[in-house]
Amino acid sequence: MEEKLTFEDNMTRLGKIVSELEKGDIPLEKAVELYGEGVKLSAACRKQLDEAQIKITEDDGGMEK
Amino acid sequence: MPVITVTQINKYIGSILKNDRNLQGIMVRGEISNYVKHFRSGHVYFTLKDSESAIKAVMFASAAARLKFEPEDGMSVIAAGSLGVFERDGAYQLYVNDIIPEGAGKANVALEQLKKKLRKEGIFAEEHKRPIPPMPKKIGAVTSLSGAAVRDIINVLSRRYPLGEIYAVNAQVQGEGAPESVCAGILKAEAAGCDVIIVGRGGGSSEDLSAFNTEKVAYAIYNCKVPVISAVGHETDFTVADLAADLRAPTPSAAAEIAAPDITLLYEKIALLERRAERSALSVLDKSTDRFVALNARLTAQSPENRLKLTAERLSAFDKRRDTAFLRYMDRLERQLEEKAARLDSLSPLKVLSRGYSLVYKGEKLLSSSEALKKGDKIKIGFGSGGAEAEITDKW
Repeated sequence: MEEKLTFEDNMTRLGKIVSELEKGDIPLEKAVELYGEGVKLSAACRKQLDEAQIKITEDDGGMEK
Repeated sequence: MPVITVTQINKYIGSILKNDRNLQGIMVRGEISNYVKHFRSGHVYFTLKDSESAIKAVMFASAAARLKFEPEDGMSVIAAGSLGVFERDGAYQLYVNDIIPEGAGKANVALEQLKKKLRKEGIFAEEHKRPIPPMPKKIGAVTSLSGAAVRDIINVLSRRYPLGEIYAVNAQVQGEGAPESVCAGILKAEAAGCDVIIVGRGGGSSEDLSAFNTEKVAYAIYNCKVPVISAVGHETDFTVADLAADLRAPTPSAAAEIAAPDITLLYEKIALLERRAERSALSVLDKSTDRFVALNARLTAQSPENRLKLTAERLSAFDKRRDTAFLRYMDRLERQLEEKAARLDSLSPLKVLSRGYSLVYKGEKLLSSSEALKKGDKIKIGFGSGGAEAEITDKW
């Protein structure tokens, strides 16, 4: 499931988790759960960067030159 | 018919030009373009043109050195000189001995007018400038696929932003049809789903860049549905493409750098988010711990054992207060008694007698005056110690 999300999606979700945690007035159980998800997401983001491979398409459209 | 050589024909044409008074010592009005100063010889080569026509011109170093200004492309001038043939190439050209500037170049004027018009139409308006997406998925590059610009863009993005996709569209960037080709390229990149488009070329003369100074290209950039970064390699004036673009980059490489973030920054961003998550999770934990500690302390304070101890402490404190209060009271009584005894002592009549005063009695009555005495009365005298009896012999 994580595989399908883009790097940007994962980063956005990670950012939201951090903001939620930084509010501070959340129950401990919730904090532990969010932190666990954050750790997973950051690992997924890092993996996506490690494995990223640029894709290049050249469209010369049958134009001369 | 006699056969002649190429050299002969060129020499012949040269002599005709030289002998034509209409072509010698003339003044020609035109606009300078392709201006080149040969760095070693100091000779100057350029093209003099007007709206329809152009002529090659050369100015030898000795004449060029006398000029009081530096001619440049786009400048409107009057060139003084004579027509001649460059026999090697079979080309005629204007041999210039002086150049007189004629205000701003005509092409420049036209460009300024175009800029003014587009500005009025809001093509350059800041409000229309859109932000570049922070993490584009597909980056369009509209430029010549045989040029250095597209290689630069691909190199930079491969190194810095492997997450992305590059969609490079070939466009003719100079010459006839270039503006249309650039416009078509922008539309193609847009249709291909790019979320940011780089439009440009490497550096060149002002003529080479002319496609980027057209109304068509300006409008194509303005009307593009996604942000456009212009990358027309030049440093001085902005082209209308630069002014219409959402962002201007000085070179194609710079445009690629602006178009997407560097992967090292993304790694740093992840690390920063991790640190923040850890810090805030720990702070939630700390807060929970603090609350537990505080509640636990209040709870133990209420245990029966603690309450007994507390009561006993309070009782013994009462005892102590009672004891000290009693002692203080006794002290005070004692002090008062001592004071009173001392005062009593100082008032004792015996004390007065001991200083030489005496008490006089008649019978049992203590006398303070001689009034009641008469001659022959017997009196008793009490001294500080001892007493005596005496008889009155006289009185006053």
